[in-house]
Amino acid sequence: MKRPYTPVDTDPNLSRREFVAAACAVTASGVVLGVPALADTPKATEVETNLADYLKVPRGPHALPGPFPGRVVQVSNARAVVDDRVDGKVVGEMFERGVRTLTGTDMRTSFRMLFSTDDVVGLKVNPVGAPLISTKPEVVDAVIRWLVDNGLPKGNIVIWDRFEGMLKDAGFTPQRFPGVRIEALQTMDEEGTSWRTADGRHVSEGNFDPAWTYVARGVVGKGVRGYKDDEYYLNQHVFAGEVSYFGKLVTTGLTKIVNLAAYKNTGNGISMATKNLGYAAICNTGRLHQPLFFRVCTEVLAAPPVRDKLVLNVTDALNAQYDGGPDKDAKFVWPHRTLYFATDPFALDMVCHTQLVAKRKAMGIQVNEAPRFTDYLRQAESLGLGVADPAKITLLTVRA
Amino acid sequence: MIAAILFAALLGGTPAVDDATLLPADGAAAGLTRDGAAEVFRGAELYGHIDGGAEIYLEVGFERVTVQRYRRGEDELTAELYRMSDPTAALAIYLSRCGDETPDAGLAERHTAGRHQLLLVKGGVFLAVNNDTGRAKGAPLLVEVARAVAARLPDEAAAAPGAALPAGWLPGSLRVVRGPVGLGAIVTLGDGDVLRLGGTVTAAAAAYDDGRLGRHTLLVADYPDAAAARAALAHVAAHLDAALTPVRHDGDVLVYRDWAGRFGDLAVADRRLTLRANLARDPGLPATPPLDAQP
Repeated sequence: MKRPYTPVDTDPNLSRREFVAAACAVTASGVVLGVPALADTPKATEVETNLADYLKVPRGPHALPGPFPGRVVQVSNARAVVDDRVDGKVVGEMFERGVRTLTGTDMRTSFRMLFSTDDVVGLKVNPVGAPLISTKPEVVDAVIRWLVDNGLPKGNIVIWDRFEGMLKDAGFTPQRFPGVRIEALQTMDEEGTSWRTADGRHVSEGNFDPAWTYVARGVVGKGVRGYKDDEYYLNQHVFAGEVSYFGKLVTTGLTKIVNLAAYKNTGNGISMATKNLGYAAICNTGRLHQPLFFRVCTEVLAAPPVRDKLVLNVTDALNAQYDGGPDKDAKFVWPHRTLYFATDPFALDMVCHTQLVAKRKAMGIQVNEAPRFTDYLRQAESLGLGVADPAKITLLTVRA
Repeated sequence: MIAAILFAALLGGTPAVDDATLLPADGAAAGLTRDGAAEVFRGAELYGHIDGGAEIYLEVGFERVTVQRYRRGEDELTAELYRMSDPTAALAIYLSRCGDETPDAGLAERHTAGRHQLLLVKGGVFLAVNNDTGRAKGAPLLVEVARAVAARLPDEAAAAPGAALPAGWLPGSLRVVRGPVGLGAIVTLGDGDVLRLGGTVTAAAAAYDDGRLGRHTLLVADYPDAAAARAALAHVAAHLDAALTPVRHDGDVLVYRDWAGRFGDLAVADRRLTLRANLARDPGLPATPPLDAQP
């Protein structure tokens, strides 16, 4: 997994506004970005990756799929969203019901099952599509309250995503979350004007760990469709080449991860639990949408820094979107008023995928249910990372 | 100016309209004032504007989008005027985004309006007006902006891609397909541009529901000539997705069974290719709408 740490060597700058817009496109586009629209492209199965290296590393005590493989809890409450407003108190109640139903025990014991008080816990939110269809701050409030009430210092909690501008736009600011660290893997300089240091290096290079990589042979971040040029690509992805480095926050900064995805489609698939981490724990992802796309959602989660730290997944479906995702499209957003819980992100995504397909059909969307849109979940099951077979998944529903 | 016009004429085109002039000036619509200058994204620059989903615009035919932000008191709006390559392209995007249309009585052009967003299509323009704060009081402003823009757009004959399809499709299901992104939203036949639409051949697709074949999708594509249509069918047959099993391939007809035991068929008659997907049973010989169904 150790790869040479290759610094980028060009230096044009991009305005923050340009970058944020483009970054949204990259992180959100899923099936579309980087895809040559009219060209025949290699199949995902034809690309060699370093997945086998991950599998050689012995699993940690908290490794996926965690203590509850195949168990998914769905908590709904009609009072959670009223007139487009999220009720934080109701969300807090839903969160407790969800955790207790998942673990079968009280909140304190649940905490001890998944955390210790000296953990550094990363809350991976999804800010794309704010404010309609991003992770709601009220959900993050509930998680923080649970952690702090059980003895975790507030300073040991980190709300994180790839891009700081998007975090801010989605409401994850120091003012809203005092005492909690808010970190992005990719940042500009302190003045917020340049992606490069004076010596031409990318400001965020040091945020990535040369010791942990996701390699996709022959899939390079150069000449990727959808980017004006390679420099534009580097400003969004920090590195090019066939290697994606994991964020140091993930590899060394955090000891546990709570994955707080939003509930939305991306084309015929979903952009929920596994994509929220698969495309955010590493850099240089624009190259991966084609040809790997969903496969990344499994293989990055198979890497020990994620596999051994991801202890809880909560998919925020207070608002949900059944078409036009992963960015917001108001026409297809509805108040689902639901939270989903699992230690097993693959079972969780299979449940949500199945339910979203049913919703899409009910709303008259012509749905393509080709297996390729869920193959990555079955791949995860074959690797022992989770459960994808619906017959083996237990869905517990709670209506408050 | 005259020289510019002559130069454009020599190139075979017309001088580009400054789309920013089509958007309301300060105070021209419900007291809204412009918040900054308009931004324009051309061609592949669209990726720098759309937060996911730019590919379908480029596939069906995109020229540029002009984006203007507005303010009035607590309300913030954004108008996006998409100049597409032709009216069919504009309608293609509108149909993919409009969902169940909920028009406002105060607007004559085809559109759908809601609290958060208004979408409108007129000729080769697709317009999206967003209520960025989501305030209920901002919704009427969307209509005002759309009305002001629509009044400045020339009247053009509306695209009618559905004319190639038999009547009776399910409401809201009509789609325009010009490449793999659009096709992939409906069915996976193989990788890449398996139908060889190339961004230039226009296919119309819609969902139907009948007792014998169940709810299924019908797609009709008219190629430049019969040879191109037959070549497209042959390409599908040669690159059929691994999740599909060929049942019959007899010259101009290909029948397959999918992973779920449902069927699909493709047939060519003259320059028209017809695809039916997600059929509840083996369809036997497919029914191909005659070419004279096209307008």
